[in-house]
Amino acid sequence: MPRILFGPALRILPIGLLALSLQRLVFANHPVNDVKLQFVLAVVVAAGAVGGPDRGAVVGFVLGLLYDLSGTTPLGLVALAYGLGGMAAGYVHNLVSEPQWWMGSVFAMFGAAIGEVSVPFLGQVIGDGGWITPQLAVQIPIVAVAAGLMSPALMPICRWMVGVKRKKWKVMVE
Amino acid sequence: MFASLSRRRVILLVVLTCVLLITLDKRGNPVIDRARGIFSTLIMRPIDTATNTIVLPLERAWDGIMNYDDLKKERDALYDQVQHMRGDDVKAQTAILEAQELTRVYELSSALGYTSVIAQVVGFSPSNFQSIVEINVGSSLGVKVGMPVTDGAGLIGRITKVFPDHSIVLLATDPSYGIAAQILATPEEVAEAVANAPRPTTPPATTTTSTVPLPFDEPAIVTTTSSTTSTSTTTTLPQIIRETGALEGQGTGRPLVLRFTDSSSAVTSVREGSIVETAGGNSSLAPHGIPIGIVTRVVTETGSSNAVVEVTMNARLEYLNFVSVLLYEPNQNAVGR
Repeated sequence: MPRILFGPALRILPIGLLALSLQRLVFANHPVNDVKLQFVLAVVVAAGAVGGPDRGAVVGFVLGLLYDLSGTTPLGLVALAYGLGGMAAGYVHNLVSEPQWWMGSVFAMFGAAIGEVSVPFLGQVIGDGGWITPQLAVQIPIVAVAAGLMSPALMPICRWMVGVKRKKWKVMVE
Repeated sequence: MFASLSRRRVILLVVLTCVLLITLDKRGNPVIDRARGIFSTLIMRPIDTATNTIVLPLERAWDGIMNYDDLKKERDALYDQVQHMRGDDVKAQTAILEAQELTRVYELSSALGYTSVIAQVVGFSPSNFQSIVEINVGSSLGVKVGMPVTDGAGLIGRITKVFPDHSIVLLATDPSYGIAAQILATPEEVAEAVANAPRPTTPPATTTTSTVPLPFDEPAIVTTTSSTTSTSTTTTLPQIIRETGALEGQGTGRPLVLRFTDSSSAVTSVREGSIVETAGGNSSLAPHGIPIGIVTRVVTETGSSNAVVEVTMNARLEYLNFVSVLLYEPNQNAVGR
């Protein structure tokens, strides 16, 4: 029981709520070139970059679900999109077992692009269309680059959030 | 965290859950709507409040650092705008004051029964030894040398030089200015005379009322005259005209001085506060009845029956703006004096 209570599943919620609050109060009010930076998505992809595809997908699902609950998007839409983003960012672990911070950042950027572009496309699939516009060509790179830039700072928090510890390498002395 | 599940199963679970939730929500599930409401009000609102408390000062500090130049520019632009608005406000107030002044000038000149030309003062005397002003009307509008000039309060002087589009006005304070003037009774004297006048028994008197203009912001003097139509009894009007004399200037900033034609009779009757107006007549420079000012000082010269009567003008010559030239042609002999 205590393990469940203090485990990663419980740590996601406060971090997610705080991220969502910052998104609503800070990032929503300061657009860059008319594009609102996605802090929640940055947390998701950072979690994916440090925890792998499965953890990234779960964090993306939970934070996306909070996003859906706080807004008017169909429940599960952003959860699915962010889940895909987190999973995509986590594939950096398929390349190296302990990625450098910059590799994590590049994959976070990639995952953020997937996550952000998935929202209008999934919306189109479920009948909430109209968001696939040429503006996406500006919107996706800005959100992705911003998430990539934020992810190195977010990785330590996300590592604690998903319960992943840095691997320690020991030199075997004969 | 997800040790019991393989990676593919976790992802599949996530995707399927999302699809299920989307389906339920799109079908309008009330549970989801309620959950959304509870989440927004009970969970997100307190968190937003707490975050706002922490973030807002930081955000403002950041804005202060990053947007200082923009804010300064904006402030300067707004300051400039405020200055322009103040200027417009002053212009509007000036326009109102000018309109009021024009109205007063027009009212006085029209009350005198002569055609007049409204003019604006465009220049003052550069010398300390001349009391003149330049006005922006001239012979093209019928202005001639000698014509009296008034403002809303009374006589200010006469035309001495005329050009096609402008004229020079010699102000009444100039020592070379002189005009025939008469002193009227004070309001108290008028009231006293009316009270003491014998009252006719029959027939009833007809009463006429006339108004004598006074300086700005002072109530006008109302003189009441009554007469009967009876052939046998006629009530005499109170004698409101006291003395006639020549009014002369003494220089800028000093009161006018009135010299009586009959010096022996003036000393006892003239009182401070009496009204002075133009006497009119063939030899006068101005028609009868233009208010000039009030008697402010009566000094009896020692060893003589002569009195020095100082008259303060109604018009404020230092604040002249709009004036009226009465198109009254005085006797040419008087003009030459």
